[in-house]
Amino acid sequence: MGKLTGRIFNIQTFSVHDGPGVRDTIFMKGCPLRCTWCSNPESQRHGLQLGWREKKCVGCGVCLKTCEHGALGRAENGAIVRAPEKCAKCLACVKRCYAKAMHVYGEDVTVDELYGRIRNKPQAWRVDGGVTVSGGEPLMQADFVGELLAKFRRYGIHTAIETTLCASFNKVAKVAAHCSLIYADMKLADPVAHKRHTGVDNSLIKANFQRLKKEFPEVQLIARTPVIPGVNDNEAELGAIADFLKTVPGLDDYELLPFHGFAQPKYHQLGIDYQFKDMPNMDKESVAKTNALLRERIGLV
Amino acid sequence: MSVCTMESSCMTGQEQRLADGRGQSSPRERTNRALNVMRAQRPRLDIERAVLFTESMRETEQYPLVLRWGKAVRHILENIPVVIQDGEILVGTIGGPGRISPLYPELRCGWFPKGMPETQKKDAYAVRSEDIATFMEKVEPYWRGKTAHERYLALMPKATRDIIYGDDDYGATGLMQDNSNINSTLNWSGIFDKIINRGVLALKKEAEDKLGEIEANPANGDYDKIPFLQAVIECYEGMLTYAARYAAELMTLAAAEKDPVRKQELERMAEICTRVPAHPARDFWEAMQAHWFAQIAYRAEQQISGGVALHRFDQYMNPLYVKDLKEGKITEDFALELLEAMWLKIAQVVPFSATNAGNYWEGYAHFENCTIGGVDRYGRDATNEMTYLILRSKKEFPLHYPEVSLRVHAGTPHELLHAAAELVKEGCGFPKFFNDETIITQLMCNGVPLAHARDYSAAGCTEIRMPNIDTYLSLGGNINLAAALEMALNDGWAHFGSRYEKLLTPSIARKDIKSFDDVMSNLRECVDFYVDHFMKRMSALELTNKQCLAAPFMSSQSDICMENLTDIHQCVMPGSNQHDTGNVNFNGFGTCAEALASIKKLVFEDNILSLDELLEAVNNDFENNEPLRQLMLNVPKYGNNDAWADAIARDLDQMIGELVHDRQSVFGEKYLKYVPVTSHVGLGNKTWATANGRHKHTFLSEGISPTQGADVDGPLATMMSIANSTSRVYPNSCARLLNLKLNPQVVAGEKGTQDLINLIRNFVDLKLWHVQIGIYNKDVLLKAREKPEDYKNLIVRVAGYSAYFVELSPSMQGEIIARTEHEMV
Repeated sequence: MGKLTGRIFNIQTFSVHDGPGVRDTIFMKGCPLRCTWCSNPESQRHGLQLGWREKKCVGCGVCLKTCEHGALGRAENGAIVRAPEKCAKCLACVKRCYAKAMHVYGEDVTVDELYGRIRNKPQAWRVDGGVTVSGGEPLMQADFVGELLAKFRRYGIHTAIETTLCASFNKVAKVAAHCSLIYADMKLADPVAHKRHTGVDNSLIKANFQRLKKEFPEVQLIARTPVIPGVNDNEAELGAIADFLKTVPGLDDYELLPFHGFAQPKYHQLGIDYQFKDMPNMDKESVAKTNALLRERIGLV
Repeated sequence: MSVCTMESSCMTGQEQRLADGRGQSSPRERTNRALNVMRAQRPRLDIERAVLFTESMRETEQYPLVLRWGKAVRHILENIPVVIQDGEILVGTIGGPGRISPLYPELRCGWFPKGMPETQKKDAYAVRSEDIATFMEKVEPYWRGKTAHERYLALMPKATRDIIYGDDDYGATGLMQDNSNINSTLNWSGIFDKIINRGVLALKKEAEDKLGEIEANPANGDYDKIPFLQAVIECYEGMLTYAARYAAELMTLAAAEKDPVRKQELERMAEICTRVPAHPARDFWEAMQAHWFAQIAYRAEQQISGGVALHRFDQYMNPLYVKDLKEGKITEDFALELLEAMWLKIAQVVPFSATNAGNYWEGYAHFENCTIGGVDRYGRDATNEMTYLILRSKKEFPLHYPEVSLRVHAGTPHELLHAAAELVKEGCGFPKFFNDETIITQLMCNGVPLAHARDYSAAGCTEIRMPNIDTYLSLGGNINLAAALEMALNDGWAHFGSRYEKLLTPSIARKDIKSFDDVMSNLRECVDFYVDHFMKRMSALELTNKQCLAAPFMSSQSDICMENLTDIHQCVMPGSNQHDTGNVNFNGFGTCAEALASIKKLVFEDNILSLDELLEAVNNDFENNEPLRQLMLNVPKYGNNDAWADAIARDLDQMIGELVHDRQSVFGEKYLKYVPVTSHVGLGNKTWATANGRHKHTFLSEGISPTQGADVDGPLATMMSIANSTSRVYPNSCARLLNLKLNPQVVAGEKGTQDLINLIRNFVDLKLWHVQIGIYNKDVLLKAREKPEDYKNLIVRVAGYSAYFVELSPSMQGEIIARTEHEMV
């Protein structure tokens, strides 16, 4: 027990928007979906990824000298250019970087190590908070996450996950058994559109929605939809989602998450294109109004 | 309430006020008229008090000092002009109208011949040429060779004097920072219940009876108490005359007043001034006027650092307020207007610091504390109607004076914390929080009787006083930990501004430093060197103040002084609390702890650098060596709940605690404190680069806080680090100032209020001493720096006080911007 290893890419302390109270949020690395708007692009691949944080870089060039694989170069404007296909993931450049501008996304930790790091901060629990596992997709590492959450639950700490529900029910069950709260995304109701925008079909997700509370009635289930311009920000699509959610047994609440472009710098760090570049953030108040109407439509009021 | 929209992100109540042009205004129009008059003025140096004080002192040289002081206070109160300003409902000033700075030549008069004309050239204060001329003719000549500061300089060992002042005896920031004689006493909380509830006549009679008793029995050994009692009576006589002069002037004004409403008001005010302070106050308005008369007497007598604190205002003011409410004699609205009138009165008396030091207590710092909440003398929660009214007053009228200091304890009601959290969210930094659970325990460990410990009040930045058992507190100074570390690593050499000197020889030469323990061992010697000099300056100051200062009015209100019939400046007397007789303040704790972490990690644990390589980079201020600076910046840091880094900080705290514990000054043992006010900016500007990646001549860390921007793991982690790094080896450490800065989004909505309440509950549980929480959007601060004219009402938390952002120096503004802003995650 406690020796299972999982791969995370971040721990965020003092999270105030990922469940009740003040929380520590753990981000797992790897996700079966490839949502074009993904706000954590560094979470998608399970493999380690090199990031270059331009703002931190002092331009000393020690990383270029360190790399023995020719995976790093310098553009005319001074930017560090990466050739991921040549990178051997030796991380020598990360270790040598003085300014911590070269960064690796992904770290392997055991359940015990991770628990130890978080339990070091018991004050968050004392303020009615707890632990949230996000991602990436926590269910991709279901054994690890299940064991971790069980450890917190044993001491009465509130546990939550943020999930796509895109996993076999076997995996859902392993984690749900130790959850106080599950935030599950319903991004699109139409299977074809879902496949187009996220890379996967939504039939498994829908089936898990239907089954979850039947097997785990104690868990609080909150469905969420990120409202994305040009993808699902219209009445027809949101209405279809609401109509599906109306059929979900035991649904406790439904939240719309307005689009924001905070992820843009992370795409830049990873050197990948961002389809929503310079798209303005969505108005929170109007989204909140739509949210209220949809809650009513689902019968949550 | 904070308002969130996507474009503007989240605005605090204060930012909303700035955006819609309301500034600091109150819902009450008359308050706003007075506010606008005040805000249009720079504080004016007012010489009235200095002239009258000197006139009297010149005529009384044959008497004992305490009696001379009593006669001088009476002379001031009997002769200072009566000034009644438009629309006032509380009256009395200690000089002319408007925003004034009375002068206290007995402290540092030697500075004025040069300092007054120089001040006239700058923007901060208004100085009239005719006032300079009068001052130079009637005041300055008398004080030559007689001031407290001259006595102090004469009593101090030369080496200590050099370290503090270098070649500028009227500066304050050498290798140590020194506040001596800039004020006469540090952190005093006034006592008001005796004047309000018993009245001056009864108190005077008590003094006269005692005097008669002693005079009738010359053999009983108390004959030396006579001058003290005579001085007390002189002060009371002065107060009675002062009030009578106001009553007469109010009657004259009433007779001439055309507006029937104001006429009636003036007649009522005349009646009030006839009633108080002579007799006990019968209602809330009378109590407020009596309160202000007492504050006038405190200010006539002395310049108190931190101003006159209001003690536990909600405790002694509530009974008359509630009585008036029950009898239908007062509305909440008028009670709020009276409070606003007093806040404006306090804001109008601005201290003037006779010093060449820049960065000294910026933004016209004065710290009048209004303490509310906490437990009563029996340990029960003391919250009452007035507690809530004060919080409401600061919300409706966010003037930066007085400070509101909310005492919190395990049993503080949820509703009170809710009201406090909502006030915090306004973004002006009110209230600041003091932790009963820690403070009362600490006082009891030092032998303070339980009832007194429970009755403490905030005074100064983050310090406390028990005004009926504490006595005089000499002014402190600040020891520069960053300079001590430089000496420890460089054979005793330290930079100081443009100077570079060898001050001592640490046991281990730089070339022989082989381990982190060697570094700590040298550091201990260097800190000890400073503590030693600090105690010498403390002793010199204590002797000076005992010989050169007296305060019969202040003493007359204190139980312990009246029991002993002794002036408060004699300090150590039977029954008094003899522990907290002075501050040994340390500056740059975070800077030093982080630099030690760098050295330990890079040189002795990971062997990435040799000590020589590290010191070369630091000693060249990282010139052409930005990569190594980055390396130092990225070592695990104090402030992030990192056990390894916090252990280094704890060792440092323990070392300092032991060194302070091992030494005493004339008045006895001293408490270790981390209260910089703004001296971390001034000292930092003269201090060399440090191994935490800090450039030379930039600010040091503040109070007990980590370096600005180094605590990146949220406010809970910062608080945990401070709890973990407090050594608690002796109960001689207190007053640890902690500033938290939050982005408004973190505390938005009702959830944000609840999270903030929980943060404060954690502060109580972790047994921290003090916390204050500033809530701003960084871009608002940046805009205010660029366009001060649009942000002249923006109030920010500085140290233990709030000030107008635009009245701070550019480097202090930069320090506040650089503080870590805990954002929404």
